[in-house]
Amino acid sequence: MTRMFKDVGQDADDERGMTYQKLDKGRSGKRNSVTDPLGPNSEIGRKLRQYYDDLISEEVPDRFSQLLNQLQQQEQQGSTAKED
Amino acid sequence: MSASSSFRDGLLAAVPTLRAFAVSLAKNADRADDLVQETLVKAWDKQDSFQPGTNLKAWLFTILRNEFYSQMRKRRREVEDSDGSITARLSIHPAQDGSSDLNDFRRALELLPEDQREAIILIGASGFSYEEAAEICGCAVGTIKSRVSRARSRLQEILSITGEGDFGPDPITAQVTNSPAVV
Repeated sequence: MTRMFKDVGQDADDERGMTYQKLDKGRSGKRNSVTDPLGPNSEIGRKLRQYYDDLISEEVPDRFSQLLNQLQQQEQQGSTAKED
Repeated sequence: MSASSSFRDGLLAAVPTLRAFAVSLAKNADRADDLVQETLVKAWDKQDSFQPGTNLKAWLFTILRNEFYSQMRKRRREVEDSDGSITARLSIHPAQDGSSDLNDFRRALELLPEDQREAIILIGASGFSYEEAAEICGCAVGTIKSRVSRARSRLQEILSITGEGDFGPDPITAQVTNSPAVV
């Protein structure tokens, strides 16, 4: 019994190992850049963050806070109605 | 009630990053805001299924992403068209301010297939780990890794071509028409 479970565990590990091995194929010798391909030293990485930060810093329209207030109000009214 | 208030605050705080992700996916600001709105409504309805203490941002991104793809499938059915001209028409480039460098980058990003674009955004800009991104996209960690890697090489390729074509008529159009790899 114990042995069977152990085997199952090993199989799972082997499978995982295999998957990673497969994934790493074709990028031999480039492991470091793969670990952090979009890090601070990467131009693409820097541009990506600049692009995204630009979007994040845009002013958020009021419609979203209004919507959330509405949803919350509806919920509160709903629960009071049930209590009545 | 205080639980619902803190949930509400959490959603509101996530709106800027949700909008950024939505714009990256939808390539169109109006559509992006509709996506965010739909996401907030869905999240509110499903708030019982959110486990406090887990990653709210990842949970919301998952909802937004599912909404995006289900809308896209709907649209595809509605505007069923021959070849890839749908994609070309849906890709709208509103006049945006900002450096031309950033505009070039934005256009390059829009040329990527959706799966690669979302992967590189989640990992390179939204700050998710590969594991989180895999969960958001419902795929294996390895799939995310390979999409990010393909997206990155593709961007490098497009951007260097864009640079060389500065004096040409339209480097992006040239890129689209010359490259069978864009689909």
